[in-house]
Amino acid sequence: MKSYFFKRTLELVPIFFVISIIIFMLLNAMPGDPLLQMRMDNPRAFAQDPERLAELREYYHLDDPLIVKYFDWLKNILIGDLGFSSQYKIPVSELIFSRLPNTLLLTVTAWIIGIVLALPIGIYAAVKKYSVFDYSTTVFAFVGISLPSFWFALMAIILFGVILQWLPISGLETYGVTGFWNVFLDRFRHLIMPAIVLGFIQVAFWVRYIRAALLEVLDQDYIRTAYAKGANERRVIIRHALRNAMIPIITIIALDIPYFFGGALIVETVFAWPGMGRLMYNAVLASDYNLAINCLMFLAIITLLSNLLADVLYVVVDPRIKLDERKRG
Amino acid sequence: MAFSLKRKYDDLEQEISGLPVGSYSQLVFKKFLKHKLACLGAVVLITLIIFTFFGPLFVETAYDDMDFSAIFAPPLSENHFLGTDEIGHDVFVRIMYGGRISLLVGIVSSVVSTIIGLIIGLISGFLGGIWDELLMRFVDVMLSIPLFPVLLILSLVFGSGVFSIIMVLTVFGWMRVTRLVRGMTLSLRESEYVMASKTMGQNQVMIILKHILPNVIPIVIVTTTLNLSYAILSESSLSYLGLGIQPPMPSWGNMLQGSMSYILGTSTGHNPWWLTFFPGFLIFITVLNVNFLGDGLRDALDPKFVSES
Repeated sequence: MKSYFFKRTLELVPIFFVISIIIFMLLNAMPGDPLLQMRMDNPRAFAQDPERLAELREYYHLDDPLIVKYFDWLKNILIGDLGFSSQYKIPVSELIFSRLPNTLLLTVTAWIIGIVLALPIGIYAAVKKYSVFDYSTTVFAFVGISLPSFWFALMAIILFGVILQWLPISGLETYGVTGFWNVFLDRFRHLIMPAIVLGFIQVAFWVRYIRAALLEVLDQDYIRTAYAKGANERRVIIRHALRNAMIPIITIIALDIPYFFGGALIVETVFAWPGMGRLMYNAVLASDYNLAINCLMFLAIITLLSNLLADVLYVVVDPRIKLDERKRG
Repeated sequence: MAFSLKRKYDDLEQEISGLPVGSYSQLVFKKFLKHKLACLGAVVLITLIIFTFFGPLFVETAYDDMDFSAIFAPPLSENHFLGTDEIGHDVFVRIMYGGRISLLVGIVSSVVSTIIGLIIGLISGFLGGIWDELLMRFVDVMLSIPLFPVLLILSLVFGSGVFSIIMVLTVFGWMRVTRLVRGMTLSLRESEYVMASKTMGQNQVMIILKHILPNVIPIVIVTTTLNLSYAILSESSLSYLGLGIQPPMPSWGNMLQGSMSYILGTSTGHNPWWLTFFPGFLIFITVLNVNFLGDGLRDALDPKFVSES
């Protein structure tokens, strides 16, 4: 088990380097000048002193060959120096760590909503195969998969935020709210809509997956044996079927972690939620080079780690694979 | 005469054995017709394609014609079936033109990326060895890059015309097809009939084209529909974020972007919900029916179906 984990982690290293090269090339192909923001902030200084531009280019190593720039960047991220954001004028790492909790709050809530809804619906649909409930679940899943998240978000804003005025339509909190419970309630009200929109779309994917995984297991001989031995349905499904069906389900749920971050970009933009996705979107639009490249790399690392997590979980939850490992090792 | 007699005999034999009758394509078609949602999907999609590609020929209003006498006209008002926006653009007409762009981008990029994926998958699976290893690692890498942010950057790099959006969606759309096709090719390569044609001295290209390609085509068709729904959603998301198709040329995504400014209501206090509702609803309906179609095709093209039914 340990050696498997070690091997999988080592395999990530070359992939990490190739990804970093691709991301670096992409960002360098992006139009826009890193000094543009600086020039716009202070046009007069640049107009009076044309040499200043050349000096600054020299200072920021903007005219170095690409390969030198790449290794500089790589060295810097490996020692944890992510540089400054030209847009916000503060260190990128500070920005990322101030936005990350917001994104985590949103994605984890959406993730929990997703699991809490998808598990019972998926299980019930599999148990009552070909019932009305099962068919409506299938249609519901199709609807969820086909919903454009931004449209869903906009319609939710129009209905619940503007027409009914039940929920706030954007942001993280209302300015000027005090008192622990008031703040908590206010945060919660801001969280509901984005989290439901983000979670709902995932529910549709998971319901179908859970149903399929469980159906496959329910077909097995040992399930029939369990019934034959007189175990009641509840026991058979929970103790025998679900335990085996959980193996692929857990894997797919772990594999979907990056999708939450990706989907969060759109949902955060629509709801003006100050998280990583919106940070990156603004960085790309404003050609804030340091911020964009490091946010992107950060997301890529999260994707790699959740793939690793899925692989490891697969081995952890499936005792058959572990046995195999022991035999070999 | 002898031929048709033999046909009759075959049919009879099949009927007696309880297996469905007909050629492969007939069987696929029959199976497809049984799938109600898939038929619905096909009908709706054909209607949408006719509506968006030929509809504009029958209306006189162009997508950038402005009617200043009717600004923010609600749906079902005179001359404007689905209402108008802030400068009197007719929403119905713009939805037709926008659908043209959205469907064109979706269809072209999904077909091209599927073909690229198919070719790379065939090569990787058939050659095996170091090439396979390299290509598959490359696919792993491409799949670990967070897709949507990269699409954002690519659309900045390539600009935002129809052609560049198609290119952006194609560059990052081929990997899943490659994986699928490569997996199938690997197993088909070891099959007896491929072995047989190898021993008979058939050259490799012919083996791929005659023996492997026909077997992977069904799964490729199904993946194309999945790619199509994905491409339509991505294009509309990009356009919604202001990085896809640029106004005044309408696409369903950028119509939604345009409606964002009035989502809280106009200065006169009205809420022009129709600007947001209709373009998004059409994206939703299109993607939904593409998914229905894909599901039906998967059922119909599944090679195991003869023994099952």
